[in-house]
Amino acid sequence: MKQQLTNIWKDWRLHAVVLAIVLVTEIIGTHSFNVGPGVVLLLPMLYAIIIGLALFFTPVIKEKQSKNAEPLIVLGVTVLIAKIGVIIGPSLPQIIEAGPALLLQEFGNLGTILIALPVAVWLGLKRESIGMAHSVAREPNVGLIMDKYGFNSPEGRGVMAIYIFGTVFGAVFMGLISGFLATWTPLHPLSFAMASGIGSGSMMAAASGSLVAAFPAMENDILAFAGASNLLSLSTGLYMSIFIGLPLTERLYQLMTKKKHSTSVRKGA
Amino acid sequence: MLKNVQEWVLLLGIFGVVALIGNWVGYEILPTAAVPGMLILIGICLAGLILGDVLPGSLPSIAYVALVGVLLSMPWMPGSDYIVSATSEVELLALTTPILAYAGIAIGRSWTDFVKLGWRSIVVAVCVMLGTFLGSALIAEAILKFQGII
Repeated sequence: MKQQLTNIWKDWRLHAVVLAIVLVTEIIGTHSFNVGPGVVLLLPMLYAIIIGLALFFTPVIKEKQSKNAEPLIVLGVTVLIAKIGVIIGPSLPQIIEAGPALLLQEFGNLGTILIALPVAVWLGLKRESIGMAHSVAREPNVGLIMDKYGFNSPEGRGVMAIYIFGTVFGAVFMGLISGFLATWTPLHPLSFAMASGIGSGSMMAAASGSLVAAFPAMENDILAFAGASNLLSLSTGLYMSIFIGLPLTERLYQLMTKKKHSTSVRKGA
Repeated sequence: MLKNVQEWVLLLGIFGVVALIGNWVGYEILPTAAVPGMLILIGICLAGLILGDVLPGSLPSIAYVALVGVLLSMPWMPGSDYIVSATSEVELLALTTPILAYAGIAIGRSWTDFVKLGWRSIVVAVCVMLGTFLGSALIAEAILKFQGII
């Protein structure tokens, strides 16, 4: 964010394209359809990311625009965080009241290990599974894995795979499943609001945005809880991985592969 | 530093204009009603960004932005009523649409990496996202229920 900012504001082509995308997507507006008992919400922001990606492959967007877009995501997320700050402020008494839930649900981020690690091992992935499943693979977690295992290690390849998926499809995926799960499961929208804060600004925006669209009456509580949880995830995520996530993943991986190994030996005998 | 602040102001201004137009088209809030709120939000961003730059320590600027926003809008802060009502004219979803439009344009460059991932990585990635989301939601549900908040 230091030097590369120079003269990005002059990239009128980039800003004009984004304005055009915003106009088109906001005119299309929000649409929803039912899948069984759940509701899938199609929000303007979801069309926006897909149109933006599609335009990258046309002559409208060149390499330069794509590079210049990055600092604008950072600044845009800054405005979003300011907006969430002024939503959290008035809700501070409720947030303090919900403090225990907010703090403890951070441990829910370890759910990645319980669900994704067995699947990864079952699919036949080796030590890549450790990098993949130990966390939700945002920047601090990628840094940790690179630091510990190196960029060219299987663990490093694993964490990069999840990081790339999250970067490309994280927001779309979270936006779709949060509205769907909140309408389909009996869990309360505020629980999903807290779960939306997984440490990525765009994923949190997509997930909580879908929740607001599905439950407009709870808008302020949803955004305050999601925002507070996201800030907590940002500040605790790395330590969660260092002290609990990664050691636990290592241990479980050893346990699972040992078991697998011994059954295959038995089969062979 | 001054050069940076100048760039921040210009870029935040461009972002603000795009978001205000989206706010108008998508949520029918006239820019005249939403301009004060947007200016307050941009002011909060600038304060946070500058604090992140000049204060020692490794806290990211975004933490200061959130902190300034929370402090200014706390019920105990004089003038917080105005800040809360002015900024409520700027819809959250009107901010996320341009962010994700820029994000779509930026992630185009990661697309070739993405195509190389293979189906197994994608299955695991879906499980990772579902895992953290459901894990957190289940714990939050249990504790909020226990406390009687929901």
